[in-house]
Formats: sequence, structure tokens, C-alpha cells
Amino acid sequence: MNKRILIWILSYGILTVFPFLIPLFITGPYVTHILILTVMNIILASSLRLINLSGQLSLAHGGMMTIGAYTSTLLVVKLGLSSWVALLLAGLLAAVIAGLVGFPFVRLKGIYFAIVTIFLTAMVTLMAQQWRSLTSGSYGIYNIPRPDPIVIPGILNITFTSSVNCYYLVLVIMLVSLIMLYAIEHSRIGLTFRGIQQSDSLAESVGVNTAGLKVLAFSIGCFFAGITGGFYSQYIMAIAPDTFGFLFTVYILIYMTVGGSGKFIGPILGAFILTILPEVMRPLKQFQPFFFAGVLMLVIFLMPEGIVGLPGRLKTIAGRLFKEQQERA
Amino acid sequence: MDISTLLQSILNGFSSAGIYILVALGLTLVLSIMNIVQLAHGEIYMIGAYGVYYITTSLGLNFFLALVISTLLMGGLGIVLERLCFRPLRGQFDRAAIASIGLILILQNVVLSIAGGDPRSYMSPFTGVLKILGVAISWDRLSIVLFGFGLVAALFLFIRMTKTGQAMLAISQDRDGAALQGINIDRISMAAMFLGCALAAIAGALVGAIFSVSPTMGGFALMKGIAVIILGGLGSIPGAVVGGLIIGLIDGIMPILTTTHIAGLIGFGAIIIILLFRPQGISGHE
Repeated sequence: MNKRILIWILSYGILTVFPFLIPLFITGPYVTHILILTVMNIILASSLRLINLSGQLSLAHGGMMTIGAYTSTLLVVKLGLSSWVALLLAGLLAAVIAGLVGFPFVRLKGIYFAIVTIFLTAMVTLMAQQWRSLTSGSYGIYNIPRPDPIVIPGILNITFTSSVNCYYLVLVIMLVSLIMLYAIEHSRIGLTFRGIQQSDSLAESVGVNTAGLKVLAFSIGCFFAGITGGFYSQYIMAIAPDTFGFLFTVYILIYMTVGGSGKFIGPILGAFILTILPEVMRPLKQFQPFFFAGVLMLVIFLMPEGIVGLPGRLKTIAGRLFKEQQERA
Repeated sequence: MDISTLLQSILNGFSSAGIYILVALGLTLVLSIMNIVQLAHGEIYMIGAYGVYYITTSLGLNFFLALVISTLLMGGLGIVLERLCFRPLRGQFDRAAIASIGLILILQNVVLSIAGGDPRSYMSPFTGVLKILGVAISWDRLSIVLFGFGLVAALFLFIRMTKTGQAMLAISQDRDGAALQGINIDRISMAAMFLGCALAAIAGALVGAIFSVSPTMGGFALMKGIAVIILGGLGSIPGAVVGGLIIGLIDGIMPILTTTHIAGLIGFGAIIIILLFRPQGISGHE
């Protein structure tokens, strides 16, 4: 038993420490940028899965990221707030907006919910373009300051002028987010989400407040989208209304589905593989989108549970082959 | 704002409505027969327009002949897609939707690598203006209205009068019941895809004649088409017509009161509000 716990701690420890070590071996602004994108996509796909856990397919993540990015930017640029407070408020505002629109939205089931969330994303983009006095319209906002340095006099002075440090920052955000998402999923509320996903009329009949919990799941998921949007605007130091549009949102959905939305690790794997692979395939040039689409189609047709379902499937196939051989013998 | 501006914008609204309805009809047909949202519908619309562009410019055929050939080709593509892509995923809503996103990527990039990203244009066969009561109506806009509503009437008759049409209606009402009555669901699905893609190709070709053709023109059509079928109620043909008229007229009239972007905002807002009061759409059922 003790040995198992030790192995468990060791393997998760290595998995946690390993991403922190990558910049020591591979350097360069391009690689760092890809790493940051990968980590962001992991947060996004995992938080989308929490919404999916309560049986809803949301395409509001792009809109919520736009809200988060503009909130944090405007708070820093116009009000001069600390970037950390702004980042937190960006997430909170996204969560509050999601909570407000959530109450009418969750009455809609299945595809209708997905569609109104697409419209929400489209409306946020349009508003960011139109509210010129606040957002400076389609030009976007430039020269957004990087996150404030963390200073403890005499001991610590971390600045975020280099993108490697931004990578460490987003990695920490990811770890905290994943731990929170994992805790939520394995709490009582998370179990209730699953109950709603499997049958919301049954859940309601045993006294579960399905509407309230669906809104809660939507709101929590959007909180992480808001934070990630805020971080991205601070890292890239610019924001435009259509940075996180429809296609961006759809890609998050693809990461989640290809990885497999059934398991916690699914979206993480999906985001990791599908962000890194296209970059590795850069030499293919204009054929690169075909490659991405090919991987997508392959997973959709051959692996119904996504990449995480692969080991189980291989085991079944191997078992069948083994059985056939036994029968033949 | 004078009366002729208003009439002009109403006509523009009707011609937008014609396009939206054509796109939405295809979406709603596929949705009600096969139970999947075909998100690559906008790409079919775009390729239909490119088909007309290449047939008229390279082969030198006349517009109407090109329209017929392109429409039939797209219908054929629809059948191929149904067989290869959507039949294995029928009934699996999420996976089919994501597979169609994969199709968007593939089809868009095929066109991009063949035709390039620059917008192309071809001549509309409808030129000149028609003057009624002092209002100048351009024939190319009017042709869209006529085509759109003509095809709606034809589709309506097809569903009412023919055996295939009745089978489609039966499947959309009760899939298992229809199968028990001996309706071949595979064949009807192919017919639905053929019709849906053909309608999208016609819409694309008509729009291409007025504006221009580009590999990304499908996204806009898809958004509007989805808005229309959501507003009208999934799987309802009269609903698609009513929804198309509402959204088309909002898009036509609002820009003269505010800006085009705010008109778009109002359109989306209107749909969300209507859905909150009627979650199943104007004439849909659960």
C-alpha cells in the first residue's frame, strides 16, 4: 500500500515538474509561444469539460475569453489596477455574466443551448467592435503591460518581461485550475453534475436543482475562460475583438472531443497533442490543415471515446485476437 | 428617410431572406431526416458558387447551364458525403457535428489551394433595373427573391405530392415508425442530402453573381442559416420560411436605422429573446 502511494506521488510529481523543466532544454521565442498556447488550451479544454459534465455543449468560451481579456486590459490601462487583481476580476466578471445569461439559457436543451452560446460569442465580438469609446473598436488595444512583477524585498523579484516567465506563470495557473477542476468534479456537486448529464429529469425528480447547478457549471467553466483570456492579453500585450472568435471556440471543442470528454485526462491529452502536432507538421505548409482535419476525422470515426479510449479499445481487440487463437488451437 | 429608401431596403431584406431560406431549407432537411447538424453546409454553398465561376469563365458556358451543372455536382457531393461521412455517425449528434467541422477544414482548404484566397466574381445574367412607382429595383436582387420563393414552393409541392417527399415527412415525424412501414431510411437520407446540398449550391451561385466568391464566404451563410432554423424551429419548413423572412428583413431594414454591425447585434439578440419565450422555435415541436 505504502509503495503504491509512493509511486503515485512520484509519477504525479514528475508529471508536474517536467513542464517546468522544458524551457531549460528547449529555448527560443517560437517554442515558448507554442508551449504557452498548449498550456492555455489545456485550461480551456478542461474547463469546457466541466460544463460538458453537466450535459451542456457550450460554445461561449471564445466570448468569455474576449470579456476576460477586455476586462483585465481596461482595468489595468484605464484604472491602473494591479494586473493580478485585474486578472481575477476578469475571471469573476466572465463568471457573473455567464451566471446571468445562464439562467435563461439553461432552459434550452442540447443543440439549442450550443447555438445560443455561439450567438453569445458573436454578440460579444460585435460589441467589442462597436463600443469604440471603451474598446477602441476593431483596432484593438496595444501596449498592454505584462503582469506586474512579484517582489518580496530581498528574497524574490520575478518580472514577466521575458516570455519564459510568462510560460511559468501560465503553468502555475494551469496547475491551480486543474486541481480546482479535479476537486469540483470529485466533490458532491461534481457527482450531481454527472447525474444531470445522464438524466436531468431523473435528477430533478429526486430533488436536485438542475437549473441552478447547470448555471453553476456554466459559470465555473466560464470563470477559467475569463482568466485565460485575461492572461493571453497580458502576455501578447494586445487585444482585438476577433482574437477569440467562432473558430477559436470550435477548436477548444475539438481538443476536448478528440482527447475524450469521458475522462479528466482527455481534454489535457487532446489539447496537448492537437496543439503540438500541427506545429511539428509545419513543413507540410499548405497541407497542414488537411493533416489536422485528418487526425480529427480519424479519431471521430475510429475512436468513439476519443484518444483516452484507445488503450481500452486496443485491449478489447487484443483480447478478441487472443480468444480466436485459443479457439483455433 | 424617404419612402423609396424604405422600399429599397425592404426589397434588400427580401433578397437576403431568399438566400437565408435556401441555405436554411437544406440544413433543416438534413437535420430532420438524419438528426445531425451539417456544419459544412456553408462550404457546399461556397463550392457551388466556385463551380459556377469556373464553368462560366473556363468553359465559357452560359450562367444558367453552369448553375444547373454546379447544382447537380454539389448534390452528388452531398450523396458522397452522406455515404462516407454521415451514415456511420447517424444518431450521434456531437460526433457528427465535429466530423462536419473537419469537413469544413478540408473543403475550405481544398478550395483555397486550388483557387487561392483572392475573391473572384462573375457576371450576373440579370442586369438592368425595374422601375415601379419610382423605386428602382435591380433585376439581380429581384431574381434572388423569385428563385428563393419559387424553390420553396417547389420543395413544398415535392414533399406534399411525391412518395419520396411523404417518406421524408414520415421519417422526420417518427424514424422507427417510418422504418417499420418499409421506408428505406438510407435512401431517403441520400435524397435529403442531395436536395439540401443542391439548394445550398443554388444560393451560393446567386450570391456569387451579386457580390464575389471567396473561400470563406460559407461561414456567414452557415451562421444565418442556423439562426433561421433555430428561430423557425428545427426541422420545420414553414418555420424556416418565416424565420428567414424575419432575419432577412431585420438585416435589410435595420442598417438604414443604425449601422450594419448593430443590425447584426439586434438580429442575434432577437433570436435569443424569441428562444427564451419559445424554446422550441416559432413553429417547432419538442
